[in-house]
Amino acid sequence: MQDEQPLSEQESLALITQMINKAKCDYAETGVECLMWGSIITLCSIISYSGYLTGNLYLDNIWYLVFAAIPLQIIISARQARRKKYTTYNDDAMGGIWISFGISILLFSFYDHKFQPPSANTMFLIIYGIPTFATGFARRFKPMLIGGIACWLLAIASAFTPFPYIMLYGIIAAQLAWFIPGLILRGKYLKAKKGNV
Amino acid sequence: MFKELDPILHSQLRLAVMSLLISVKEAEFTFIKEKTNATAGNLSVQVQKLKEAGYIDVVKEFKDNYPNTTCHITQAGIKAFEEYVKALQEYLKVGQNK
Repeated sequence: MQDEQPLSEQESLALITQMINKAKCDYAETGVECLMWGSIITLCSIISYSGYLTGNLYLDNIWYLVFAAIPLQIIISARQARRKKYTTYNDDAMGGIWISFGISILLFSFYDHKFQPPSANTMFLIIYGIPTFATGFARRFKPMLIGGIACWLLAIASAFTPFPYIMLYGIIAAQLAWFIPGLILRGKYLKAKKGNV
Repeated sequence: MFKELDPILHSQLRLAVMSLLISVKEAEFTFIKEKTNATAGNLSVQVQKLKEAGYIDVVKEFKDNYPNTTCHITQAGIKAFEEYVKALQEYLKVGQNK
């Protein structure tokens, strides 16, 4: 691109539109975080459910895997931030929402462990839906918007579902809210990366 | 009476840089270079002109032991860009009515 090339008014407007679109179309989301959390929550839900079915309640400790994944999440986030060549105002807002989600989940897990309230699964599903819907809404990313709504619909359904089947809703929620959107993001990221080579 | 188009913005590369920076919070020099397909030398000169006009801020720091330049648009830059787009629209309206 040259500097002093004369521009007509139409060309100026076309250039502005083109550059704004170029910034918008730069897919920086690798989808790795979504895939990781989608897989972990799915795995924990399946093992926890099978533990209940077989009477091996020791398997419920699989949920500690979530704590083990937190340092991994920090490493992934730090690496992505280092690699990213630009930041948007949206990034700050999204970071705040997901950190709030992480803290809320940890606090609610503690509350659940200590007081064992009824319908804890329903509460977890409601909390899962909040950052997922917010991300889908802010980024205009339909799969996460649908995932967030699915979490809330599952929360409603869970109020009418007997235990232990309610445990299966965690699997569906993790797939719809994170794993499937993660796969879509990953596909878009790899496609964009291939296009840039 | 038409407003004169801002000569700082009414150039291909500077306008491209401002259009990119208006869409993000901040961007690295390499990102701007990649998106505008400009040479590093030419881009440096135009970034300096925008900085001197007070339209962007340029921060030079080290990232992973390498020098890294980051640019972000200032409030004056946002105002100038908005006025430039408004002026363009005025010109285009008149062009369509002729």
